[in-house]
Amino acid sequence: MTATTAPVLAARDVSMVFGGLTALAEVSLELHEGQILGLIGPNGAGKTTFFNCLTGLYTPTKGSVTLRGDRLPSDPARVTVAGVARTFQNIRLFPSMTALENVLVGRHARMTQGPIASLFHGPAYRRGEADARRRSLELLEFVGLRGLDDELARNLPYGDQRRLEIARALATDPAVLLLDEPTAGMNPQETEAARQLIFAIRDTGVAVVVIEHDTKFIFSLCDHVSVLVQGRLLVQGTPEVVRGDPRVIEAYLGKPPEEVEAEVRQYAEEAAHSTGTAGTADPADSAEDLDTEGGSR
Amino acid sequence: MTIPPGWPILGLGLLYIAIAVAVVLALRLLWQRSAKALADKPGMLRPIAIAGGVLAVLAALLPWVTFRFNDGPYPDLATLQFFDEPWGVTGFRLFVLLLGVVAIAAPFLPVPARRVERAIGLGLIALGLVNTIFPLISGGGFGAITAADGAFAFGGVATLVAGWVVATSAKAGPLEPLPHWNPKVPRLLAYAVLVVSYVVLLLVVAWMLDAGTDPDGNTNTYAGPIFLSLLSFLGAALGALHAFGFLGWLTALSERHRVFSIGVLVVCALALPFTDAGTDYWMTIAVNVGVYAATAIGLNIVVGLAGLLDLGYIAFLGIGAYIAANFSGAAASALHVELPFVLVAVIAAIVAGIFGAIVGSPTLRVRGDYLAIVTLAFGEIFRKAAQFNIGGMTGGANAIPNIPPINWFGRDFSAPLTIGSVRLPSGVLYYVLIMVLVALVMVIFANLKNSRIGRAWIAVREDEDAARAMGIKTGQVKILAFLIGAMLAGLAGAVFAHKTSTVAYNSFQFIESVTLLAAVILGGMGSIPGAVLGAALLLVLPEKLRDLQDWRLFFFGLALVVIMRFRPQGLMPDRHRRAELADEGADGVPIEELNVPDAPDGSTAQAVAR
Repeated sequence: MTATTAPVLAARDVSMVFGGLTALAEVSLELHEGQILGLIGPNGAGKTTFFNCLTGLYTPTKGSVTLRGDRLPSDPARVTVAGVARTFQNIRLFPSMTALENVLVGRHARMTQGPIASLFHGPAYRRGEADARRRSLELLEFVGLRGLDDELARNLPYGDQRRLEIARALATDPAVLLLDEPTAGMNPQETEAARQLIFAIRDTGVAVVVIEHDTKFIFSLCDHVSVLVQGRLLVQGTPEVVRGDPRVIEAYLGKPPEEVEAEVRQYAEEAAHSTGTAGTADPADSAEDLDTEGGSR
Repeated sequence: MTIPPGWPILGLGLLYIAIAVAVVLALRLLWQRSAKALADKPGMLRPIAIAGGVLAVLAALLPWVTFRFNDGPYPDLATLQFFDEPWGVTGFRLFVLLLGVVAIAAPFLPVPARRVERAIGLGLIALGLVNTIFPLISGGGFGAITAADGAFAFGGVATLVAGWVVATSAKAGPLEPLPHWNPKVPRLLAYAVLVVSYVVLLLVVAWMLDAGTDPDGNTNTYAGPIFLSLLSFLGAALGALHAFGFLGWLTALSERHRVFSIGVLVVCALALPFTDAGTDYWMTIAVNVGVYAATAIGLNIVVGLAGLLDLGYIAFLGIGAYIAANFSGAAASALHVELPFVLVAVIAAIVAGIFGAIVGSPTLRVRGDYLAIVTLAFGEIFRKAAQFNIGGMTGGANAIPNIPPINWFGRDFSAPLTIGSVRLPSGVLYYVLIMVLVALVMVIFANLKNSRIGRAWIAVREDEDAARAMGIKTGQVKILAFLIGAMLAGLAGAVFAHKTSTVAYNSFQFIESVTLLAAVILGGMGSIPGAVLGAALLLVLPEKLRDLQDWRLFFFGLALVVIMRFRPQGLMPDRHRRAELADEGADGVPIEELNVPDAPDGSTAQAVAR
């Protein structure tokens, strides 16, 4: 299904060079409607750099990023307006604003009141403001923060802050949501809740890209996984394919395959359990059926 | 080598300061010891509080000075002659008596007694300090309170001890949580409470301004300590009101009925000329307060909301003033054109706004401290340009004198006004004008703050990159903050030009920018009433402390340091800033207690710590 539709977000040969250091080398990715794409890789593999290229924080040295065929500008504000929203690896909420105000800031790009309207608070202004407020409250409820709208962001527990950041990103009405390590530092219950939340977001029609360290989480969440190692795409494919690839295991876990095979099997089984997805391939099968076309689209 | 005549006095002053520091350190040590000893003994509250309260009441009845000062109300009944007239307890001794009685009563009332006792104790200490130090300084040393013909004046020392004991009683157990009163009360009740509160506020303000003024209108020699005593007492009273939740409730009420409370506040402000404070002198000060308050609110947009430090802000007031001066028809102006004041004010605002946008444009590239330097430089450029008449609009060192007063419908704004049989002081019309202007500026600020633009400003302040990732064009938003803030300052400058009738470059020095910034920070960043209160304090305090002469600025600076040490969030903080700087949650709960992460492993704790 995903292969037949045109991609929502497409990165083509994106390279990023800092001075003499190549952080990204010709990375290409496609994200389709209704897809959850996982991006994994060891520390320093260039995952966040890639995110920054997608969101306009960095201008890629080479290559292009397009959203529904239109090239994205290299300015974060305009990228957000175009329809790509993100969260940050280290939570970057507006700590002294309330939860509701944080989400309302997310509505900024979708509201039109200028300074004059803001000064006089006319009827049209109030209607727009009321709409934004309603939508923001809906989003807070959607991410599970109902009733916490008047709480200052800094006072929220850690997990709730992550949710709030997602609600704030969703408030920009994105076509694509980029989540940078959404479960970092979460306990298993919170991680599971985050997984369900991402599924729910996918179901509303938003395509999602997730960066994570937690491979178990990624394999149980994503339709498609790309592995980034030293700035290059190593492997991409379904979780089953990626999970079994010995190069992934080596690059990612830094151990010889024999030693970690058992561990990987265990991951796979647990993942199969926790998703409850029927028809997950037997890890042994997929290990034989290697996708050796790593790095290609 | 001969010792210059001033030195012995300086030495004496340093000695007093050293003694004060030693006493404070000793008390602090005692305080910590007793706090430790009392920590788990809530039962000790009553006996200690009562002991302190009784001591305070006794102190109020004791003599405070060994001799009689010059004629004047200050120590009239505070000297050893007091016993001729035992029940005439007035002035600061009445405050001490009242606080003592409250200290005794509080543990038996259904109020958070430890919070109340803390406020009362600090108030007593302040009263004791003011009225001990003053006789020491102006009465010529310790003779003022120690032996005179074998008699002692214990009052001040007893009050200090009483205050310390009362404050110590607050250490018997942790502070109670602040009571939360439901602000959802019937509309009429809310209106009644707001009207009464604001009228009381008006009377208190008039009382404070009038403190130390003789019935014939002359400021007496003891105005400083009288005023400071009143301030200490009011501080303690406010602290006590805050302790049992009344102030929080009042704030919530006025927020719920914002339009109504602004209306009442404006009416109360307009009623000030009818009170005892309605003199020419105070009207002039009040107009200056209004000018500074309007400017400080403008600066509050830039600093308080958008978080951009501006150290040259007075320049925008200056631009507004020079524009108004040039369109006033004054003989020395460059244009010799006279336009109606309203039109002039609009032009002044627009020109100042344009300059604001120009100054703001480096914010696209320059952040934080570096921006402060850019604005500082702009302020100096403006002042120097005005001094040397660059552009030919400022009159240079000769200034632009003789700006005619505003004249509407044949009424001269600088003349006194008579309504019926009441003769109002001159300058009252300027006072009315500036109050209307301040009210307008407050509405502008409030509307902007609670709008899409205001949220964008706050977001930029909090985290510029995250704001950009939310689709906010941060460059535009920051320049807009400078533009609107400068317009408000320009508006105030137009009134300033007509009221002072002379616009000179040395009215716009760096120290004025600092004063404005201090007003914003003192009142509470991002807070409207805070900026007004800050401006009022910064202009009124030096006036009230005038009779301390050389010590005036010393005590003024000391007061600022003390306020910032104990209330870094400002006197009337904005909710956001309160949380940030006081480390409190929305309801005053310390952050550490609120934000308890359920850490299953080290990573969560680490992430939270970050």
